[in-house]
Amino acid sequence: MADGELELLNGYLVVGAILFGLGMVGFLSRRNMITVFLAAEIMLQGISLSLTAWGRYHNDFGGQMLALLMIAVAACEAAVALALVLMLYQRKGSLDLFLWQDLREESVPRHIDRELPEALPEEPPAWPRLTPAGLSPEIPPEQTGYRPHV
Amino acid sequence: MTDPHRILLAAAVLGGMAVWLLLPRRKGGGIALGGALGAVSLGLTAAALPGLADWLAQSLFWLLGGMTVVSAAWAVTLRNPVYCAIWFGMSLLGVSGLFFFQGAQFLAVATVVVYAGAILVMFLFILMLASASGRARYDRVSLEGLLSAACAAFLVGVLSIAVTGSLHSPKLDSSSAGIPQAQRQQGVLAAEHTKQIGRQLFGRYLVAVEVAGTLLLAALVGAAVIVGHARGPLVGPRATDPETAGGPRHG
Repeated sequence: MADGELELLNGYLVVGAILFGLGMVGFLSRRNMITVFLAAEIMLQGISLSLTAWGRYHNDFGGQMLALLMIAVAACEAAVALALVLMLYQRKGSLDLFLWQDLREESVPRHIDRELPEALPEEPPAWPRLTPAGLSPEIPPEQTGYRPHV
Repeated sequence: MTDPHRILLAAAVLGGMAVWLLLPRRKGGGIALGGALGAVSLGLTAAALPGLADWLAQSLFWLLGGMTVVSAAWAVTLRNPVYCAIWFGMSLLGVSGLFFFQGAQFLAVATVVVYAGAILVMFLFILMLASASGRARYDRVSLEGLLSAACAAFLVGVLSIAVTGSLHSPKLDSSSAGIPQAQRQQGVLAAEHTKQIGRQLFGRYLVAVEVAGTLLLAALVGAAVIVGHARGPLVGPRATDPETAGGPRHG
């Protein structure tokens, strides 16, 4: 092709595939519920890039229409999902997905895929570093090790 | 397997390693190495793709695509969810620029208005409402990072090799690739873009518009009902260890 349409389509499809893969990594491996939904939105973006690229290649508006509908569906999904996330947060006080892995009916025995990993060591708080100010007190050398009175 | 395919395969493997190194883990480190590997992977991908005709268009495409992909990588791998959301917005701007570059102007503006203007702000609101104090523990640990990065690298590698290989096979040229550019100028690249979009949207795709409207209404009602039912005992930000907490609390 002399007009570069094929190369354009190729580039868009590869960028869409990379976006989809990145979103998949985030969806599978993050533990914060909100980050998981962000990753799902990144996957949707990759798909809509591919759709519009195919639409331009075939000279058809269907790709852009489908991407527009995807925006509408993504808005619905974000509204419902964020309401659910907020409700789950109010139940447990945490956004951690691991806390909900034993979700079940009451008659079903308890099954847990994996135990929560052990607690992370707490990082020491970052104390401010004070710069020394003023003169250092003059102490006689015989009193540095032992002080007769305070 | 020809040379661009090998380069794409190497780029996918390097990119998977980069994302694995960048994911949150217990011990710090690996971020500089992951960033370097990711940059090498992006460069290899750009080198393996066939170039556009115009150097200006080529550099613009590389700029927008690189911005989109790098921002998406940061959005997926950063520890602080607020930064994740902000980098996701940056990635959305890149996607919108790619839509502009392709001639889908209405879609680009709709993406910025709806996604970056509404959905992203909603994410940020929920983050502000539900953020645990300071740095939460679950944001610093990722779950099966190596396995998911390997799956994604496999998927991206196979997809990019298949796309690049099949699009440039000699069999394709006789089919729809032969649409002349003048016909595209009357179609998807028409000067009256929004007029064309409106005509298509309310003509051929009218049923889809109605379905989308119904779906939006249902989602609105559903979200209101879900939030209205959540009047259980409110729990503040979690102070204790997650392991010591009991089962689900029934509101």
